[in-house]
Amino acid sequence: MRLAAHVYQIYIAATPEQVWAAITESEWTRRYFHTTSFVEPPQQGKPYLTVGVDGRPAVDGIIEEMQRPAAGLPGRFVQTWHTRYDPELEGEPPSRVEWTIESAGEGLTRVRLVHGNLEQSPLTWQNVKDGWVWILNSMKTLLETGHPLPRVRDDESVAESVSS
Amino acid sequence: MEQGGQVFRALADPTRRAVLDSLFSRDGQTLNELCDQFPEMTRFGVMKHLSVLTEANLVITARQGRTKRHYLNPVPIEQVANRWISKYAARFTSALVALDDQVLADQQPEERGRAK
Repeated sequence: MRLAAHVYQIYIAATPEQVWAAITESEWTRRYFHTTSFVEPPQQGKPYLTVGVDGRPAVDGIIEEMQRPAAGLPGRFVQTWHTRYDPELEGEPPSRVEWTIESAGEGLTRVRLVHGNLEQSPLTWQNVKDGWVWILNSMKTLLETGHPLPRVRDDESVAESVSS
Repeated sequence: MEQGGQVFRALADPTRRAVLDSLFSRDGQTLNELCDQFPEMTRFGVMKHLSVLTEANLVITARQGRTKRHYLNPVPIEQVANRWISKYAARFTSALVALDDQVLADQQPEERGRAK
């Protein structure tokens, strides 16, 4: 792990297998991950591409590691990350996203996300910083309640509804 | 303690907020680096604060070789905010509206009185 990394951790009331499915299967990702899905089911050592509902490329890279969680062993999903959803970010070199999925007791799973190798990608560093917080919270909410987080209204409209 | 409670407890202490601020401006610091930022505190004191922050999931530690680094985890703060907004915002807004109505209702008789 390098210094130019974002590190997040979230606890989810679900099994490691359910969390694994939420990260690696398109039926789940499109419900909480800005509607994006894998074009082909991800496979270790193979390139991947995710697209939005409109079919536009979102992210591409290589699946470097894909180890399902097993009894006593954490799940690992490691992907290089090359942004495709924004032309400016697309010009930056690939970074790396590492998911670690680990049982944290009966019915509870700890998910750690490290987005690293961002030294040469300052725009991506800034762009994903808060984005991951929302993605992780939305994944948690989806797994725990069956519904993803609703889209957040911008501050102005919240302020208006409070003052009106 | 439920997680929201742990987060509030961890954030209640000004030194712990300063530790988070320090990680916010420079993420991934070692214990030694953090101790240098807080010369008025003992190493044990810094470790105690870090353990409260870690229990609240506000700080995550990760090993890089032999080095243990500390990272700010913004996820629980967002969760507290989300919960606050989704659970209470509607009620809060309607309470404000009700208050507004009440103020208006209270004012009106007075104004009527003045008008007489």
